[in-house]
Amino acid sequence: MGNDLKDEEDNFRDRAVTIRLRSVSKYYQSSQATLRVLDNIDLDIYQGEILAILGPSGCGKTTLLRQIAGFDHRESGSLLMDGQEIVKPEVKRIMIFQDFNQLFPWKTVIQNVVYPLQVNSIGESDAANNEIALQYLKLVELSGFEDSYPHQLSGGMKQKAAMARALTLKPKVLLMDEPFGSLDALTRISLQNLLLKVWRETGVTIVFVTHDIQEAVILSDRIAVMGRGTVGIKKVIPNLLDRPRVVGVAGYAEIYGYVYSLMDINSER
Amino acid sequence: MTNKDSSRNKIKTRLFWITIILITWEIMAKSGAFPEAIFPSLLDIARALGDSVVSGEILLQTGFSLVLILEGFLISLLAAILMSSLAVSNKVFNGLVDTLTAIAHPLPGIALLPLIIIWFGTGTLSIIVIIVHSVIWPMILNIMTGFRAISPVYKEAGLNFGLNHFRIIKDIMIPASLPYVLSGMRIGWARAWRALISAEMIFGAVGLKGGLGWYIFKQRVFMDTPGMFAGLFVIVLIGIIVEDYVFAAFEERTVKKWGMI
Repeated sequence: MGNDLKDEEDNFRDRAVTIRLRSVSKYYQSSQATLRVLDNIDLDIYQGEILAILGPSGCGKTTLLRQIAGFDHRESGSLLMDGQEIVKPEVKRIMIFQDFNQLFPWKTVIQNVVYPLQVNSIGESDAANNEIALQYLKLVELSGFEDSYPHQLSGGMKQKAAMARALTLKPKVLLMDEPFGSLDALTRISLQNLLLKVWRETGVTIVFVTHDIQEAVILSDRIAVMGRGTVGIKKVIPNLLDRPRVVGVAGYAEIYGYVYSLMDINSER
Repeated sequence: MTNKDSSRNKIKTRLFWITIILITWEIMAKSGAFPEAIFPSLLDIARALGDSVVSGEILLQTGFSLVLILEGFLISLLAAILMSSLAVSNKVFNGLVDTLTAIAHPLPGIALLPLIIIWFGTGTLSIIVIIVHSVIWPMILNIMTGFRAISPVYKEAGLNFGLNHFRIIKDIMIPASLPYVLSGMRIGWARAWRALISAEMIFGAVGLKGGLGWYIFKQRVFMDTPGMFAGLFVIVLIGIIVEDYVFAAFEERTVKKWGMI
């Protein structure tokens, strides 16, 4: 099994690398000790793929995503996007958070989606920006809720609106930090399907942090498994199941089992 | 719907108790337990108010006071927003604002009156200074608390969309802290009234105009007790209008509509 996967990884060799991490390290200093959150992380993110970063709580997966976003400083290592060092957040990498309250509550749904367009002077007029925003709201199946305020929406709808807002600037990479983690199981499945549709239609590269093995297997092209403590990325597993995928499709159990075995779930005893 | 019902209920309860208080008042006044000069009947008070309105005096004094309080309030609001914005932008300035607030906030405006008279005289400028002093510190404290309470996700989303520091403050931090700004405005308004009325009583009139505080004070000199109550009535009326129709309406249209409180 392990050998097969190694061969399959060759399928990715000739794809363009969008983001490249080399020896990325991040420490937190406390008065007693230095906590190594990320220790020498190496990772390539290919253009157009969905990369799942999977790991237990506290493994540093969110810290890693925030590094890629450019929100935090790092102690050492290099983090390049299209050959340029990432030093601050940029509109070509847009983050979607787990928090349902990431939309601005004082703006309606459409105002939230239009706002990044206005800030970056994208459309020639407000009407043009409105038009773009409406298209993306349609893409995320939120038409009809343009004039609602965020607090009037359900959690799933808020995350859809956040997706629309993130997409309007046509980012090359979407960084998603357990965006469906607080949703009920059914809504989560429907949002996963929606995300795949958005991915097919926009071709955006997606880095998706999750602690849910099933979610990682259903969504991703590759799964980077992170371990507890400072093991960093234990293994990057290609996930070549045919799409569309459902739980239990041929090959699902193998890859699920393999990922499960890497997660040291039993070591917690 | 339920919101409207509850506010209608509130008004009903208030009207009920106001009626009870007025009836009790009138019984006390008519009973002769106190001399009329210190406990006037409602009719006398209404007449004093009516006369004062007809002669234009109470309107003149109310207008004078309202212009001063609005000026002082607006200056304080803008200055507080400016100082808080600078404080979150710069560590040195943050220390300065923090220290100034700690020193000045516990100082009642009225305690500064003698000093302000020496520095600025007894004109309207002094009254504005006292109002600004009364409003600006609680305003800053509230705005800073509001800034600190903002979820970092809003700011990070803003940074991600390419906002500069100024727009982060203007487009995100100020609207996100609006519930705190509003409660700062309420505290500030109440303090400004107190400061204004006290200062007016002490400063007296400049020409004809001395404000509502001066109006009430002047009625005492003439032993016009109904006139004093007329002045108090106007103050209460303005207080209720500002609370229910200005602040509450603003809240209804902003933070409540946005589900922020």
